Amino acid sequence: MPDLVWFVIRRLLATVLVMLALSLAVYLIFYALPADPARLGCGKPCTPDRLEQARHFMQLDQSTMQQYLQFLKGIVAGRTFGEGAAAVQCNAPCFGYSFPLARPVTTLILSRLPITASIAIGAAVLWLIAGVSLGLGAALRRGRLFDRFAVGFALVGVASPSFLVGLLAILVFGFWLNMVPVNGYVPLTDSPVDWAWHLVLPWVVLAALNAASYIRLTRAQMLEELNLDHITTARAKGAGEGRVVLLHGLRGVLVPIVTIFGLDLGGLLGGAILTEKVFSMQGLGELLISSVGQLDVAVVVGVTLFSAFLVILANLVVDVLHGVLDPRVGHA
Amino acid sequence: MPEPRKTPSETPVLEVHDLHVTFRTEGGLVPAVDGIDFAVAPGQTLAIVGESGSGKSVSSAAVMGLLPSNADVKGEVLLDGRELTKLTAEELRKVRGNEVALVFQDALSALNPYYSVGWQVAEAYRLHHDVSKKEANARAVRMLDLVGIPSAAQRARAYPHEFSGGMRQRVVIAMALVNDPKVLIADEPTTALDVTVQAQIIQLLEDVQTEFGTALVLISHDLGVVAEVADDVLVMYAGRAAEQGSVKDIFYRAAHPYSLGLLGAMPRVDVPPKHRLTTIPGSPPSPGSIETGCPFQPRCAYTERVGERCITERPLLTPRPGEGNHEAACHLGRRPEIAQEVARTGIQENAAPEGAPLQQSAAQESAPLEHSAAKAEGPLQPSAEESAL
Repeated sequence: MPDLVWFVIRRLLATVLVMLALSLAVYLIFYALPADPARLGCGKPCTPDRLEQARHFMQLDQSTMQQYLQFLKGIVAGRTFGEGAAAVQCNAPCFGYSFPLARPVTTLILSRLPITASIAIGAAVLWLIAGVSLGLGAALRRGRLFDRFAVGFALVGVASPSFLVGLLAILVFGFWLNMVPVNGYVPLTDSPVDWAWHLVLPWVVLAALNAASYIRLTRAQMLEELNLDHITTARAKGAGEGRVVLLHGLRGVLVPIVTIFGLDLGGLLGGAILTEKVFSMQGLGELLISSVGQLDVAVVVGVTLFSAFLVILANLVVDVLHGVLDPRVGHA
Repeated sequence: MPEPRKTPSETPVLEVHDLHVTFRTEGGLVPAVDGIDFAVAPGQTLAIVGESGSGKSVSSAAVMGLLPSNADVKGEVLLDGRELTKLTAEELRKVRGNEVALVFQDALSALNPYYSVGWQVAEAYRLHHDVSKKEANARAVRMLDLVGIPSAAQRARAYPHEFSGGMRQRVVIAMALVNDPKVLIADEPTTALDVTVQAQIIQLLEDVQTEFGTALVLISHDLGVVAEVADDVLVMYAGRAAEQGSVKDIFYRAAHPYSLGLLGAMPRVDVPPKHRLTTIPGSPPSPGSIETGCPFQPRCAYTERVGERCITERPLLTPRPGEGNHEAACHLGRRPEIAQEVARTGIQENAAPEGAPLQQSAAQESAPLEHSAAKAEGPLQPSAEESAL
């Protein structure tokens, strides 16, 4: 396994470089916006004097490049805005400070992450199980009713907007049938049952929509796999149909499924914007949207970089799993 | 190493009677095998030869019950007198890989890329024996060692892509033999291999056959291999038997123009290369497209001599002179007529006059090609050349 260790180390170093380049790009883009975050912090009435004061306090009076270097320094050493009694401390790793919310961005992200993670991971597990089993069933009953149902379901899932399905689900299961709570989040540590109960609806809605691509992928890959010679070998050895399908067929489909699963989950962990909005969950996506509305650039930059980092991390995990799952893939 | 289970005998272990295989497709019914019979006894080798699409592989898949669900199989497949086509799925599963095993043409695609070769051989054993994983693994390593994989215990943990072509085919053979099957069906086992490696694999098959007394059904279009290892030969054309008999019947007393055509298309080292290889004009008909008359008739050089019968009447297998059950499905009754024709095509060495003594037995040893060279090596060991790959 030393190959794998070196591979991970190399990739992590590359990740640092990518994140640096990305953070610079994000920084330049968002701070080039014709918006002035200082205006929000200057209070009323906003005289030019007070605006200048606020700008200085937020360190926005420096050049963009200087601000970026301050941002990088903050990640390693933390930052202090202002002086004396009014000073605002942002401890390392400091990914910026939200003056409207009066909190470091790192704290904000960490407080929102459990909610988004709860939604994303629960939904992902559901859609993985549902998508793969429906796709598998469709492949095995190709051309028959079950296959048509599964493929049709996949088509509807791909085509449906999540806000519409989410609202319909709230209307039907929440209000009409009164089966599940329609909004709110209970931390897992408070009550696992309430936690799951409040998340059922977003899980099911997200899973139903995302399962589509897994149904199609599993079905297509499985049909291809079942035509391969080594499947005939397995039958000729005397393997039963269940063993042939699961141990010899599905095994080959694992790699592409793990690939898109990792990328989907990585993307979703950065914020399930529409789902969080529809179900009134205070997750990362909700944080991002409200920050954009308030021109809270520090938070927008922080969440964007964090989401990007999750995607890059997901890619790394997927690549490592490739090597573990497919003996033909080397990490040298 | 187990004792030979049976000495070669003449009681067939596998008998196929009047086998028909028809595929139901969107374009209608497509017959692939149209009534063939064969039998093979323990320790004996039956070669099934013919061009691509003649129904060789479909016949073997039908024996194993491995055809897709759109295939209709009719006829009898008897293994030690047991009718295989009437078994339930579970009964058939217990036969597959246990009593009848298959060796495939392309070992790379026949092996599962995601599992180690040791696991795959052990799996074949565990499917038919109630043993622990450890015992199965030990058995797998012994089999890999037996088929000539160097440092088998270590190599058992390697994956198929980490082996050379010849070594992979040895793995497939180990997997087929792990349950000591009564019948081994090898479907073009050497086609995907280099010539020198081909010889080693054929040698290996012969050695394990001697060792275990396995009945071997060898599907091949390599007549050099067939001449060397087969006891009996079935020549298939368009899903039917064109000719069948002992290997000497086919090679020295071929009675069907198609068999002669195949022999004429084989390169030989004992004939001065003054002639181009003869070819059979045209290509095989799609099975079932010729409903009346002889399926070989459009490509046959002797149709004029026989006349209308070739077009109007389907030739049935009729006895021909030879060692035993030599039969050919051809209206051309008398051999000398063919012999004259053969004389012109430059393969007269094959065409001994009827009843002539088999002076070719010596020639046969040296004739088919390079395989004899490999025989000089140690019994089951691969050459250094192959091991190095």
